[in-house]
Amino acid sequence: MADSERHPFLQGMSKHRGAPPTVVVIFGASGDLTARKLIPAIYNLGFDNLLPTDFHLVGYGRKPIPDEEFRKIASSAITQFSRRKLDAGVWDRVAANTSYVSGGYDEKEGFDRLSAHIRAIEGTVGSEVQSLFYISTPPSVFGPIIQNLGASGLGGMYVGKPHHSKVIIEKPFGRDLDSARALNAELRSVFEEYQIFRIDHYLGKETVQDLLVQRFANAIFEPIWNRNFIDSVQITVAEDQGVGTRAGYYEESGCLRDMIQNHTTQLLALTAMEPPGSFEAEALRDEKVKVLKAVEPLTLGENPDFARAQYAAGMTGGKPVPGYLQEAGIAPDSKTETFAALRLSINNWRWQGVPFYLRSGKRMPRRVSEIAVQFKRPPGTIFPEKDGFNLAINTLSFQIQPDEGLSLILNAKVPGLETRTQPVKMSFRYATTFGSNTPEAYERLVLDAMIGDGTLFIRGDEAETSWKIYTPVLNFWQSQGRNGMEEYPAGSWGPAGADRLLTSRGHVWRQP
Amino acid sequence: MSGANPSVATAAAMPGIFDALPGIETPVGSISGGLARMWEGAASEGKPSPAGDSAKAIQVNFVLLLGFRTDAADAVRQFEIAVGFSRRHPSRVVVLCPLPDESGATSMLAKVYGECTVGKTPDDMRCCEFVMLSYPRGVRAHLENQVSICLSTDLPLYFWAHGFADAAKLADYHYLMSTAKRIIIDSASAPPGVAGYPWPRPGSVRDLAFARLLPMRQSIGQFLSRYTPAALSGGLVSIKLAHGAGVAAEARVLLDWVARRMGDCGAKGEAVSLEPSAALPPQAFDLTFSFDDKRHFRWSADVAAAHATFDADFGGGRTTMQVAASFLPPEGALSEAMFF
Repeated sequence: MADSERHPFLQGMSKHRGAPPTVVVIFGASGDLTARKLIPAIYNLGFDNLLPTDFHLVGYGRKPIPDEEFRKIASSAITQFSRRKLDAGVWDRVAANTSYVSGGYDEKEGFDRLSAHIRAIEGTVGSEVQSLFYISTPPSVFGPIIQNLGASGLGGMYVGKPHHSKVIIEKPFGRDLDSARALNAELRSVFEEYQIFRIDHYLGKETVQDLLVQRFANAIFEPIWNRNFIDSVQITVAEDQGVGTRAGYYEESGCLRDMIQNHTTQLLALTAMEPPGSFEAEALRDEKVKVLKAVEPLTLGENPDFARAQYAAGMTGGKPVPGYLQEAGIAPDSKTETFAALRLSINNWRWQGVPFYLRSGKRMPRRVSEIAVQFKRPPGTIFPEKDGFNLAINTLSFQIQPDEGLSLILNAKVPGLETRTQPVKMSFRYATTFGSNTPEAYERLVLDAMIGDGTLFIRGDEAETSWKIYTPVLNFWQSQGRNGMEEYPAGSWGPAGADRLLTSRGHVWRQP
Repeated sequence: MSGANPSVATAAAMPGIFDALPGIETPVGSISGGLARMWEGAASEGKPSPAGDSAKAIQVNFVLLLGFRTDAADAVRQFEIAVGFSRRHPSRVVVLCPLPDESGATSMLAKVYGECTVGKTPDDMRCCEFVMLSYPRGVRAHLENQVSICLSTDLPLYFWAHGFADAAKLADYHYLMSTAKRIIIDSASAPPGVAGYPWPRPGSVRDLAFARLLPMRQSIGQFLSRYTPAALSGGLVSIKLAHGAGVAAEARVLLDWVARRMGDCGAKGEAVSLEPSAALPPQAFDLTFSFDDKRHFRWSADVAAAHATFDADFGGGRTTMQVAASFLPPEGALSEAMFF
């Protein structure tokens, strides 16, 4: 919305300083994500004075929790997980408007109580308020929550007005193409697409947004951002942790569903998409969908475009750790991959012939997410390696986490009387330049949803297009059982099969 | 966080604000060398210091003028605000300390100061550098060249004019002001009539008094935006803002903002008045709209007590609400004025 289109009393302030009176309802209020991310995000928005004057937080869950107890739980979550210390003045103002409604997710009466609670809040505020429903529950109850939001009338509140109800839905957004389509259909039976905010918290990360700024606000990159100058792109989303306490979830999910289909694919789309006509939500999402549709079907049989593996016993952080199959809660014959690597081709004028290598895994040497764009070597170099010149491939890497920033490898002359070359690294680090206390991804995303900006959320067709790429692979793996499942030692960069994906094209994985 | 040069004022011969500011005196001709020596000294003492020029990650060039209406204590306060700002936005700061003609000084003096803030990891370090220049007004023709070599090339320049005496003296800095992306003033401490100065680019001038008000503008804006512009402006008779003795400048800019916004809502010809009130606490405001019917609006705030109250009825029933009331802290106001 252009500034001039806003209410006169909100003009001239940043777009985030004008959310309407809002009730945020968290389904799954006693869950881990609520404590670790959502409550701290809301607190920090309050700290930065970005919550609307009439802001109410309502927890909803099966467990009966008195309001006062819920406030204590929330306060403790802030103390434990917020990037800022608990400031009593800030929290007291939010806490005064924090309450809890207990009810089942499949129980219409519970949603009627919630509806009455929201009406009561409107009575206190003295005006209509926007309801933002945050579904932070296991996917098994997505359906009942959506249906009951519809049946209770909450989903359709104030449709046609700017403060219409909105719903944020957490991943996993389906487990394959069919289930994603079914979930989309269920959502659209209650909500209009503009009311739906499918969250992938990677899109809230500063560096991910910076990727767009770097690409489209600097004239020096776009002319070389194509197959004429770029040799390959590597996208790595590595975790050093094992499956931990999430065995139940992970056994049903696996690396491709848990990380590649969403986070890694979002990074791919932002790296490869065409420049959007504007920074408006639909323009950006149109371009992401377009480039995902241009991804060629993956080769499944001979010389496949993927590798999958499970971590075996190994060592991380200097300590021995068990293999995946020895972890508590994991089936001894588990077919779930903890590592996946893929080689994608994009069939358009910009990217024809440029491989995009994607990998993600658990128990890798360190937690790191990065996009590395490797450029072609200069033609007919006058500094041949045989003559002792040390030349590196020009690589522009965006480090998403940790140590957010970007670096560019250049070749430079070593000072001295003779001409020797040496690669040098130019770095820009967010923390060094802007300070380390940058907003968490969830702060940006919750606030964006409150003001109805879907730019950093995933549209329904985008989720389906992404599943379309990976569902054939998932089906193939399902048909193969454990055939083709490799192992990699915990603490390593992955299995031999992942290396083969690259070596066949003359490339090697980076070790970021 | 550690200062490379904790509160050392070595230029004992110079009276006034230059002495009061921390830093190491260095020859004006080798300020870069002075900065390098300062960081080397800090490193040798085990204090955080940047490994190289890139590590300083300068974001902005920032010139702070401490004019003739500044005293030593006030100068140190403004300097500390600039340091606080620089911890968040690593800056190359040049502090200008002019001396009146009658001081008898004939040459320019310089001091350097720097400090680094270490974040979560040793790599997460931000540093700022300050160059303080003391000079008799007579050498002002050379000032812009001297300042230019203290700044970081290619980065935007912001000019904060504090404690200036009048438009004529401020004109000494015409070149800096005409190249600055923003000129920051504070109408609470500036001479009367500052808004009418012949600024090189009036659109680039920002008032810290207005920036400080952001939390309250936001609060008022969010409250009033719940009502349609027509409900706010139709039948409006008057807008009145009473204020305590300590917030006269803020009240003036707040009323100006409210009146402009009400104008955008469609209000025309209503009486707008600003009324100092001895009855109100020093940092209090009392904003009222009166209408030709039963509608009413009142916002009363006391910054010292950190709370405000809305009491309104725009035809849909009476609403009263307690909200927080505060000014942005000085560093925050500076950031708001510079970047928004």
